[in-house]
Amino acid sequence: MKTKREQLRIDPTKCTACHLCTMACAIKHHGIHGMLNPHLSRIKIHQYKPQEVNVPEVCMACENAPCIKVCPVNARMRISNGSVVTNVSLCIGCHACVYICPVGSPEVHPETGQTLTCDMCAEDKAGPWCVIACQEGALTLSDKDSLTIETARNQAGRYKRMHA
Amino acid sequence: MKVLIIGNGIAGNQVAFTLSQQNQEHEICIISAEGVPEYDPCSLPYFLGGEVEKKNVFRKKMEDYEQHNITLVFDNKVVSIDPEAKRVTTDKGLEIDYDKLVLAHGGDLFIPPIEGIDKKGIFSCKQLIETEKLRSHTGSCAVVIGSGAIGIEAAEALKKKGYEVYIIELFDWILPTLFDEPAGKKLAAAMEGYGIHVCTSEKVLRIKGTDVVTSVVTDKQEIECDTVVVATGVVPGTALARTAGIETGRGIQVNQKMETSVPDIYACGDCVETVDACTGEAAMFQLKHNAIEQGQIVAKNILGEKTQYLGAHAFARAHFFKTHAATFGKTIRGTECLLGESEVIEKENGADYLRVILLDGKVIGGQAIGKYADTIGLLISAMWRKDDIKLIRSKWNSISKTKNPGKFSQMRLGHIFGFGA
Repeated sequence: MKTKREQLRIDPTKCTACHLCTMACAIKHHGIHGMLNPHLSRIKIHQYKPQEVNVPEVCMACENAPCIKVCPVNARMRISNGSVVTNVSLCIGCHACVYICPVGSPEVHPETGQTLTCDMCAEDKAGPWCVIACQEGALTLSDKDSLTIETARNQAGRYKRMHA
Repeated sequence: MKVLIIGNGIAGNQVAFTLSQQNQEHEICIISAEGVPEYDPCSLPYFLGGEVEKKNVFRKKMEDYEQHNITLVFDNKVVSIDPEAKRVTTDKGLEIDYDKLVLAHGGDLFIPPIEGIDKKGIFSCKQLIETEKLRSHTGSCAVVIGSGAIGIEAAEALKKKGYEVYIIELFDWILPTLFDEPAGKKLAAAMEGYGIHVCTSEKVLRIKGTDVVTSVVTDKQEIECDTVVVATGVVPGTALARTAGIETGRGIQVNQKMETSVPDIYACGDCVETVDACTGEAAMFQLKHNAIEQGQIVAKNILGEKTQYLGAHAFARAHFFKTHAATFGKTIRGTECLLGESEVIEKENGADYLRVILLDGKVIGGQAIGKYADTIGLLISAMWRKDDIKLIRSKWNSISKTKNPGKFSQMRLGHIFGFGA
């Protein structure tokens, strides 16, 4: 099963933790959330001060998404553009998708307790707002090949050779 | 080719729908002991509590079966399999032939031999019909026997409906198979905080009442109640498989292609005994995500693809009111008979709690409550990669200058464990 999804390519070495992407995401989705709150951004940046590294974290819409399988009420679903999102009319806020996520991506809405993940700004023709907002080139869109398990493994292997 | 599936649960439907999506030529038939399309047993406690509407409990509609050319046989329980004639017989005398048979009838609720367990007012929360009965039942005080995931969720649902709720657990702490003692005790304290009475190390001796339940007698006290929920666990249904001479252990024995010991009979879902995907040990994790994966593997193997099932994933979560907890891998009890040096890393911050179990410096399990649970996925990855935590601990601060992209996960792990502090 191939999911032809445009993928966000993250380059942590370029990220300066300026949080423009989180702001863009919060603004883009504030209508859905009912509030404008950067903590509700579907992209998070982890800052590791001792290592001087910032790692953006976003839903990778795994090909074999474990969150779809563990959801007790079948609220996690794959939409037409390949993203995996939470159906807010079903979600009961049990956090199962947060726990099983290999990157720890879903963000929890503080009021409803429901989870939020990247929908790649589904209906927007301009593309994901975080990519537009990023000035450093840490977030780019790779539309040539969707990030399948094979390509991800190949890339991981390449990294390993480089740093072994 | 005629594929016959016994059981209309998650695993059985996954086989049927994966098959029909890949290849329309097969004749697919599902025999169901119940009279409804596929529903999700995981959502039943939430249906009981009113968080989920009845229409959302179902994963499939009747039209879906028609569209995919899947025949459904309702209200028939298969009683015997004849592997020579390739024929099954149901309790209503129906005989159905097959070319490939899939056993996906799941598990049966374990009913403990307690005196008076057949009285009125005693329910379970495993099947839709039973849950609906419990939902329409009116009462004021409920006793939940057993504190597994279903017991906990049922207790929460009943509390929300306004019942006075008691949980009775034979072990010393709640959720004994999923959590270790400190975590279990913390969860019990949280439940008490929400007004649910938790009674651990108690044994139910008998259920009193002439016709309808009036009280539950344990070895420590007598609780007056009008509702009893039996949530003492699920045992794999192996009796049917034994009629065909299939090898069974705790569950139906299967190989990596999910084939049983009898040719052309596959098994998947709650009724099989598989291996732990991480350790390779024999294991039974009767969970939804495992059933879905096993169903897919069976369908692919029926179609002739050579796929192997690598094993089940030990991951579960517990959630009631505003308390969230997750667990994966082994508990400390599970490591007692293993060789090697086990170590427990504990972190506590108010109500949040993290417990990671290491064996020879590698993560083999963990439990988390509250905020720590949000990052438990990283620990699961560490278990899969068999990261050396000792090495991360000693080198964590020196990772800094290298900016090595391959080390981000290790960096985050060090952050979770608090090595830098």
